[in-house]
Amino acid sequence: MLEMKNLSKVYRTQMVETHALRGMDLEVRAGEFVAVTGPSGSGKTTFLNIAGLLEELTGGSYNLDGVDVKSLDDRARSKLRNEKIGFVFQSFNLIPDLNLFDNVDVPLRYRQLTRSDRKRRIESALERVGLASRLKHYPAELSGGQQQRVAIARAIAGDPKLLLADEPTGNLDSQMAREVMQLLEDLNAQGTVVVIVTHDPEIAARAQRNIHIVDGVAADLERGPSLVKTA
Amino acid sequence: MHFFHILSTLRRHKTAAALIIIEIALTCGIVSNAVFLISDRLARTDRPSGVVEDELVDVRLTGIGTKSDAAAVTAQDLVALRALPGVKAVSSINMVPFGNSSWNTDGSRLKDDPNGVSVGQYMGQGIIETFGLRLVAGRDFQPGEYVEFAAAQANPSILSSVIITQAYATRLFHDENPLGKQLYLGGKEPQIIVGVIEQLTRPTDGDVAEPGSAGFAMILPIVLPFTGGGHYAVRLDPGQRDHFLATVDATLAKVDPSRIMLEHKTFGAIREGYFKQDRAMAYLLIGVSLALLLITALGVVGLASFWVQQRTRQIGIRRALGATRGNILRYFQLENFILATIGIALGMVLAYGINLWLMSKYAVPRLPAEVLPIGAVLLWVIGQIAVLGPAMRAATIPPAIATRSV
Amino acid sequence: MLAYYLDLARRSLARNVGLTILMILAIAFGVGASMTTMTVLHVLAQDPIPQKSHDLYNVQLEPRRMLGYQAGQEPPDQLTRLDAETLVRAGKAEHQAIMTGGQAAIEPGRTDLPPFFVDGRWTSADFFKMFDAPFVAGTAWSEDDDLHAARVAVIARELADKVFGSIDAIGKTIRVEGTDLRVIGVLDAWRPQPHFWDLNTGSFGKAELVFVPWSTSRELKLGHIGSVDCWAESSDSLALGASCVWVQFWVELHGAERVEAYRAYLEHYSDEQHRVGRYERPVNVKLRDVMEWLQYRKVVPSDVRLQTWIALGFLLVCLINTVGLLLTKFLRRSSEIGVRRALGASKRAIFVQLLVEAGAIGLIGGVLGLGLAWLGLFAVRHQPTSYAELAQLDLPMLAATFGLAMLTSLFAGLLPAWRGCQVTPAIQLKSH
Repeated sequence: MLEMKNLSKVYRTQMVETHALRGMDLEVRAGEFVAVTGPSGSGKTTFLNIAGLLEELTGGSYNLDGVDVKSLDDRARSKLRNEKIGFVFQSFNLIPDLNLFDNVDVPLRYRQLTRSDRKRRIESALERVGLASRLKHYPAELSGGQQQRVAIARAIAGDPKLLLADEPTGNLDSQMAREVMQLLEDLNAQGTVVVIVTHDPEIAARAQRNIHIVDGVAADLERGPSLVKTA
Repeated sequence: MHFFHILSTLRRHKTAAALIIIEIALTCGIVSNAVFLISDRLARTDRPSGVVEDELVDVRLTGIGTKSDAAAVTAQDLVALRALPGVKAVSSINMVPFGNSSWNTDGSRLKDDPNGVSVGQYMGQGIIETFGLRLVAGRDFQPGEYVEFAAAQANPSILSSVIITQAYATRLFHDENPLGKQLYLGGKEPQIIVGVIEQLTRPTDGDVAEPGSAGFAMILPIVLPFTGGGHYAVRLDPGQRDHFLATVDATLAKVDPSRIMLEHKTFGAIREGYFKQDRAMAYLLIGVSLALLLITALGVVGLASFWVQQRTRQIGIRRALGATRGNILRYFQLENFILATIGIALGMVLAYGINLWLMSKYAVPRLPAEVLPIGAVLLWVIGQIAVLGPAMRAATIPPAIATRSV
Repeated sequence: MLAYYLDLARRSLARNVGLTILMILAIAFGVGASMTTMTVLHVLAQDPIPQKSHDLYNVQLEPRRMLGYQAGQEPPDQLTRLDAETLVRAGKAEHQAIMTGGQAAIEPGRTDLPPFFVDGRWTSADFFKMFDAPFVAGTAWSEDDDLHAARVAVIARELADKVFGSIDAIGKTIRVEGTDLRVIGVLDAWRPQPHFWDLNTGSFGKAELVFVPWSTSRELKLGHIGSVDCWAESSDSLALGASCVWVQFWVELHGAERVEAYRAYLEHYSDEQHRVGRYERPVNVKLRDVMEWLQYRKVVPSDVRLQTWIALGFLLVCLINTVGLLLTKFLRRSSEIGVRRALGASKRAIFVQLLVEAGAIGLIGGVLGLGLAWLGLFAVRHQPTSYAELAQLDLPMLAATFGLAMLTSLFAGLLPAWRGCQVTPAIQLKSH
C-alpha cells in the first residue's frame, strides 16, 4: 500500500546540495511490519517524513494506498495524512495542557465527525492501549511508557492504514519498551501496516521485515540468523 | 567585532527585527512631535497679558431695554464702585484680555491702505491706571481728549488720539519713534499716537500668519456706558476681593435695579478658562507619549525574551566556547542598540514628515531641531533598560546546555 | 470547530497570563483612546438636520468696496441688512428666512424671579418650517405678522416653564427688553448640533429660547450678538444702509434646477446692485447646503481633529506591538503546531486556529476598550468646551468600538498566524 519508485530528496541551500535520498525503490504491502534501520545521517528520518507526507519529494513518485502524492496540495496532503497515517514520535509530543481525552481528540477534530463519534473512537483507542481509566488525566501525571501509549492511541484513533513510528522506544526503559512493542505487534496483527524507524537492533529483530538505508539508498535485509544477539 | 554577526543574525529573523524597528520608528516620530507640541501649547499659556491680573475683577452686566440715561447711570456706578473698600480704580470697558469677545480694526500709516494690520481696540476711560499698564513713551489721555461713545459712533473723526502697544508700534513703524505719527483706523481721518504702552494682549489669539499679533492692541479715548461695553474692570486689593464680590451686585442694584448682573470673574480665572483647552491638550499629549514609550518598552522586552529563548542553545555553546556572562550581556545590548539606532533614524525622518503634515493642516510651527536628539536619547535609554532583563537572563544560561541533546 | 478553537485559545492565553494581559491592555488602550476621539469627532461632524440638509442653502453675496480686493477671495459669511431684507421680500425661493442672533432681558414680573438674560433669534416666519422646528403648543407667526412687525414671540418650553410654570403659555404675555410680546407658539426641546444656521454664536452652544419677528426686533432695537464686519465707517453698524454684514440668510430649494434658478437670480441681483453703484467688486455669489456650509466654516475644531490623529497613531503603535507579541507567542508553540500538522491539520486549519486566538484578544480588549472609551468621554464631558455634553457613546459608536478592536487584533494576527502555519512538521520534530 506504500509504493515508492525512484524516490529522491535533495536539500538545497545557497552553497550546498544534500542528496538525502537517491533513487529509492520501496514497496510495503498490506499487513507488513517493517523496521527501517541505518546509521545517522543515512536518510531514514527523511524517508519517514516523506512517507508520512510531512515533506515533499524532489524526484520520483510516491503512491500511498493508491493515491499519487505528487499532485496533492497542502490541504489534500493534510487530509490524506489525517485519515491514512498515524504517527508515533520518539518524544511522545503530547500537548501538555490537554488531558488524555483531548490529546487523542486532536487528529479527529480535523475530520467531519460528530461529537459522539469522536467520543466513541477516543474511548475505544484508549481502551486498546489500556489507559481508558485515566481519560481526564494530564500527560505530566503519566510515566514515559504510559505517555507513549497515549500517543499510540492518538495515532490509531482515526483507524489509519499505516502507522509510522520514529524511534518509539528511544526514551523508554526496557520494560516499557517491551510493552510498547507488544502493542504495536498487536495492532499489526489486527491489520495495520507498521513501519518503525529505529537504531535498536533488538527492536529491528522483532519486525517481520528489515529495510536498511545507507547513503540515501534502501535495501532489504534478509531475516536470517541475526547478526546481533537477541535478549 | 560582533557587529556583522549581529546583522546577519537579524537578517535571519527579519520579521521580528522589522517589527521592533517599525515600532521604535513610529514611537520616535510621534513622541518627538508630541514633545514639541507640548512645549508649544504650554508656552502659549504663558502669554503675558500686560495687566495686573491678580488685582483685577471683571464685573459683567447688561441693561433691560433701551436706556436713555445709560451714561449717567454708568457715572454713578463708577462712583459707587470706587467707594467700596479696597477698590483702587474702575473703568467701563468693551473687552478684557482672554475674554473671547473681540473688537478689531485694521490700522495703517497710509490712508485707504488695503494692507492694514489688524489690531484690537480697547475703549474706556482710565484703562492704563485700571489695568496697571506701563507707559514706555508719550503720555496717557487727558480728560479733555475723551469722547462719548454715542458721539464717536455718529462721527468717528472727532477722535483725535490713540495709544498703542510697543509690539504694534514696532510692526508699523519699525525703529522709528511712533509718537506724534498718524494712524489710520479704517476711516478717512487719522489719529495721532500720543502714547506707547509696554504690553497689552488682545482678547483672542490674533492672526496665526502674523507672529506676535496677539500683542497688537490699542486704546481709544472713549467714555463707554455700560450698555456699550458690558464690562466694569475693577482694580482692587486682593485681600478685599471676596468682600467685593459679595457686595458688588447689591451696590449696583442700589444705583439702578433695572439691570441684570452676569458672571463676575477675576482676570486670573478668565485667563485660566481661556487656556484650559491648551493645557488639556498638553496633558493628553504627555499621557499618550508616556503610554507609547511604555508600550514600546514592553514590546522590546517581549521580543528580546523570545529571542533569548530561541537562541538558548547557541548561547550555551558560546559560553562553552569561552564567552563570559558579560560578553553575552553586551551582545544583546549591542543588538538592541543597533535595532534602536535604525528605528530612531527612521523615526527622525518620520518625525519630520509628521511635522510637515501638521504644519500644513493644523497651523503648527516647524519642529525645532533640538527636539530630535531628545527623542533619540529617550528611545535609546528605554530600549537599553527594556532589554536588560532578558539580556541578564541570557547571561545566566549555563554552558552545560551545549552538551544536552535536546 | 470555532468552539474548539475558542477553547484552545482560552487555554493558550491562560498559559502565559502576563503576555496575554499586556496584549489585551495594548489593544484596549489603543481602542479606547481612538474611540473617545472618534466619538467626539463623529458627534461634532454630524449632520444636524439629515432629513433635509441637501435642501437648505446658505446665501453669500459680495457687497464690499474694491479697496483690498483680491481675486479668488470668498464673499463674506453674512449679508448686509439691506440685501437680506430685499431678498426675503422678493421671495424667489420656495422658502427663505432672514435671521440674526440676539440677547434679550426677560422680566417675568414676579417677585420670586428677578429679570434674566436669554439668547434669542430675530427671524422671519419661514424659519420654523424650513428647519423643522418642533412645536409643542401653538404655531409660528405668519407672513402678515412679519409685515406688520407684530408684537408676538415664539418661546422654548424651557422659558415657558421658567416664566409661566408650564408649557401652557399660548396667549400669555412675556416682557422682552421692556416690551410686552404675546406668546403664540412654544417649541419643544430643540438643539440641532451643530448650531448650523448661525455659527457666530457658538457652533455647539445652547439653543435660542425666544424667537421674535425680524421687523419687530428692528423696531424695538433688540440687542444683537454675533459678528459684525464693516468695511466703511458707519455711525450705526446695524442700520439699514450700513456697510456692514451681520445678517444670516437661508433658503430652501428642492432639486438642482431650482438651485440653479435661484443662483441665477442672485447673480442678476448682484448685477443690478453693481449698476446702481452699491456693489463694487465682481459678482461673487455662493450657495452652500448645510454640510458644505459646515465644512467651509470648519466647524469641527482643529484640536479635535488633531486629537483623533494622535489617538489613531497610538492605536497603530499598539497594533504593531501586538503583532510582535503574537508572533513570539505563536512561534514559541512551534512544536505543538508541528504536532498538529503531522496529525493532519492543514495550514489553513492552523491559520484559522491562530487567528481565532488573536480575535479572542480583540474581543476582551474590545470590552475593556469600551470601558476606557466610556471613561474618556466622561472626562471630555467635564471639559469646559461648548460641545462637552454632546460627547456620548451612541449605539453605532458602541458597535464601532468592538468592530475596531476585532479588526485591529485580527489584522495584527494575520502575519503571526501566517508565520505560525508555515511551521513545517518535519523540521520541528527533527529538532526534538
